[in-house]
Amino acid sequence: MLAPLSWLKEYVDITLTPKELGEKLTEVGLGCEKLIKTKDDTIFELEITPNRPDCLSIIGVAREIAAIENKKIKFPKLGNLIKPKKTLPLTIKTDSKINPRFTGIILTNIKVGESPKWLKDRLGKVNQRSINNIVDITNYVMLELGNPMHAFDYDKISGNIMTVSQAKGGEKFESVDAITYKLPKDAVIISDKEKVIDLCGIKGGKNSGTYEDTNTIFIRVPVEVPNLVRRASQTLSLRSDASSIFERGVNTDGTIDALKRIVGLIVELAGGEIASEIYDIREQNFKPWKLTLRKDRLNKILGIDLPIKKVVDILETLNLLPVLTKDIIQVTVPTYRNDLKIEEDLIEEVARIYGYNNFPKTMPEGIIPTAQIPYFKDYRLDEKVKNILKASGFSEAYTYALIGEKDMPEDLNSQNLLRIDNPVSRDFEYLRPTLRINLLKALTENKSNFKKINLFELGKVYLGKNLDEAREEYCLSGISNSKSFFEIKGLLEKIFEDLGITEDPTKYIEIINEGTFFELNFSELLKKINNNKVFKPLPKYPPIVEDLSIIADDVKTSDLIDEIKNQSPIVSDVSLLDRFKNSRTFHIVYQNKNRNLTTNEVKIIREKILKKISEKFNAKLKE
Amino acid sequence: MQIKNSAVSMIIDAQDQKELEEIKLQFLGKSGKLTLTLKDIVKIPSEKRAIVGQLANEVKRIVEETLETKISEFKNQVSDHKKQNIDTSNPGTPPDIGHLHPMTQVLYEVVDVFKSIGFQAADGPEIESDHYNFEVLNIPKDHPSRDTQQTLYLDTRNSKINPGEIILRTQTSAMQGRIMEKIKPPVRVIVPGKNFRYEQVDASHGFEFWQVEGFMVDTNVKLTDLFGTIEYVLRKLMGDKIKLKFATTNFPFVEPGVDTYIECTVCKGKGCSFCKYSGWSEIMPAGMIHPNVLKAVGYDSQKVSGFAFAIGLSRLVTLRYQMDDLRLLTNPDMRILEQF
Repeated sequence: MLAPLSWLKEYVDITLTPKELGEKLTEVGLGCEKLIKTKDDTIFELEITPNRPDCLSIIGVAREIAAIENKKIKFPKLGNLIKPKKTLPLTIKTDSKINPRFTGIILTNIKVGESPKWLKDRLGKVNQRSINNIVDITNYVMLELGNPMHAFDYDKISGNIMTVSQAKGGEKFESVDAITYKLPKDAVIISDKEKVIDLCGIKGGKNSGTYEDTNTIFIRVPVEVPNLVRRASQTLSLRSDASSIFERGVNTDGTIDALKRIVGLIVELAGGEIASEIYDIREQNFKPWKLTLRKDRLNKILGIDLPIKKVVDILETLNLLPVLTKDIIQVTVPTYRNDLKIEEDLIEEVARIYGYNNFPKTMPEGIIPTAQIPYFKDYRLDEKVKNILKASGFSEAYTYALIGEKDMPEDLNSQNLLRIDNPVSRDFEYLRPTLRINLLKALTENKSNFKKINLFELGKVYLGKNLDEAREEYCLSGISNSKSFFEIKGLLEKIFEDLGITEDPTKYIEIINEGTFFELNFSELLKKINNNKVFKPLPKYPPIVEDLSIIADDVKTSDLIDEIKNQSPIVSDVSLLDRFKNSRTFHIVYQNKNRNLTTNEVKIIREKILKKISEKFNAKLKE
Repeated sequence: MQIKNSAVSMIIDAQDQKELEEIKLQFLGKSGKLTLTLKDIVKIPSEKRAIVGQLANEVKRIVEETLETKISEFKNQVSDHKKQNIDTSNPGTPPDIGHLHPMTQVLYEVVDVFKSIGFQAADGPEIESDHYNFEVLNIPKDHPSRDTQQTLYLDTRNSKINPGEIILRTQTSAMQGRIMEKIKPPVRVIVPGKNFRYEQVDASHGFEFWQVEGFMVDTNVKLTDLFGTIEYVLRKLMGDKIKLKFATTNFPFVEPGVDTYIECTVCKGKGCSFCKYSGWSEIMPAGMIHPNVLKAVGYDSQKVSGFAFAIGLSRLVTLRYQMDDLRLLTNPDMRILEQF
């Protein structure tokens, strides 16, 4: 929304400098993103939130400034709707369910021509192109008052009939700017005897617009149904200033004033006279509504004790007609403020005009809940694991969760992946089922700058062939071009040990062309965590330690170790010391917690070990 | 045993490194006493062999250890002498240590700061229903505010789900409903996580970005508490010198609605492309939880009140390190990662 300072000044006295005003407008909720200085003016570029359609008009912004400046608004001069000397025929058929209010009037003997300079300048400042005086005036009044309107060439309304209905879908419609649309089903349209002449609330038709030769016009100032306008405009990807206002909710009681304003301006700038009674077709009585604000509720939510007089003053500047009875204020909400529906909305009104930056700051009171919440996540575990990886030389990457088909390896079929219906681009169409693709890419991209590359990511992957099976899991993955399989294995073993997990990580590691890659399901891993570390008293009796060199073929070290351990509880630790050809040297610790071991006891166990591995693996002691 | 004792005593008495080398040769060399003894083991009857072997091994170990200790003793003496000649201004030899991503580092700080004021962290799904992402948050189907959160929809083919029902969440606020409908106040929760929007990528926008949602509900939660909490948290994270300002805004799930701006750290408030030349960066939209949301999760809005906020984590990280482009955070270039 663009609002020139010179235009705003017509309705409200402004004492603040443009910079101060911009900051104040931001504070009250009209985000002032930019001040554009021109040679004779300052233009405020405002970001209007969806709840404030009234601020999509100059008068709406001026009202906010009036509240900021504690001033009264000056409403523009309205034309007189005098009795017509003669009336032209027009039949209107409408339905309040799809068109809640239909206000209009016929003007005849107008002279279509160029707009005066002041009008062109004003429209130019808000980036509106001048077309002709009639079209310009309809745009001007919409921008000024916030009620969109459209001027039809009366003589082109075939059969003098206007019927408001909903499109069946597929009808062709050519807009005033000469673009042809296929109408979506249920779009609200106006037809005459022969053709569609208006796409209600969005765009007028080319076949009934106002041109040089137009002599008589029908001006329609409607209230449209927000959802219907929104759906049609979205389906057609066609937005207009009018549709933005209607889909948020137009000022329902503003149609007559807007009509008076436009008739006044047309008569002044294009001549002509009124040629019909006012049409104002509606079922509802669009009137202001009442809301109450309790002082204690206000103070409780805001956390400050505002004097009631101050509260009433603020509501007064917002034109909410406050009436104070004891500690309850009743307000009357004008129809242009359809965002004010409940007491909390009024609380915000008071707070924002009082000024958020004038509030004191407090810390919350009350007890701190200690019970574990649903969906609890223990970030310390993430941190622990990431720190081990970091200490082992790995750097952490964050990559996109969305991947493209062109990045997928051959063994990955995109048919089996979760997919986005409306991706931002083909490169980000699928949800990644593994972190491998992005990490491989990262490794390749880093090669030109680094010799040693060790990267990891802890992030989500998305599993399941279709949405019914969809699952999200955290994966911990890493890639290295400089660490061996056993270094990675040792690293994962350390991580597991730290988390109290007894599991062999071998299956998570893979030797790839570029080096080594690992990926494990971190969500699953966390389920296996055992944090109950219990101190084991130091042994009171010394262990007996020996190294045995075993010769064996085709036996896994892990199987040998398991077998050695299994022979006696006295064997408290077995580790591989060295390996050469088919000989492996094991470091064996014998320990009895309760007493000293004798060499004879150890001898018996050793023999048992040698016998067992000889039987089972055909292994023997190295001579 | 004898070998052990004589070897050890000789080692201890040795005067310099050269003498030690000789002792080593004498016992552990190819024809050293100990080596020969070990070779002789074969001659011992096999039933005794293991015991003798073990003993010999142990002797060998002890001799070796004593030797090592003595050698390093000498070395230390030597280095003491040499110290004066070393150029200690040479750079140190760095250990092989990696780097945690800046997002992780800031996120852990955020989690810690909130923990200090009683907020627990939660984690929830990114594949989310329209219900939790919008409906519970007072954003019905045709609400115009959906325009500000353009949504990525999941392909529903081959599933029982209706098109449009399942989306990638556009805001971590989606967790408000999921958590509050399961517990009663008092509630103090933060939810860090990734969100997705249909948005063209530029320096300050992306289709994937991180937020830390937070919400608190209790019998007496006030707007001033929200202001105080925001200030506390941002000062803890960004330092005492930062400048903050609050503004009114509208999200259907809060009333009153608050937006928090922090003075742009990239340009120090002068205006740059990152802050769209405004000098300020929007960092933490917030507000008092709307009565309709409290009602939707089964709370009585006349008895409890609450606030909610969402820290733009990606933006916070870039502001913290004066990075002028959000895309740097998803770039795995180690020249970036190794700076943190």
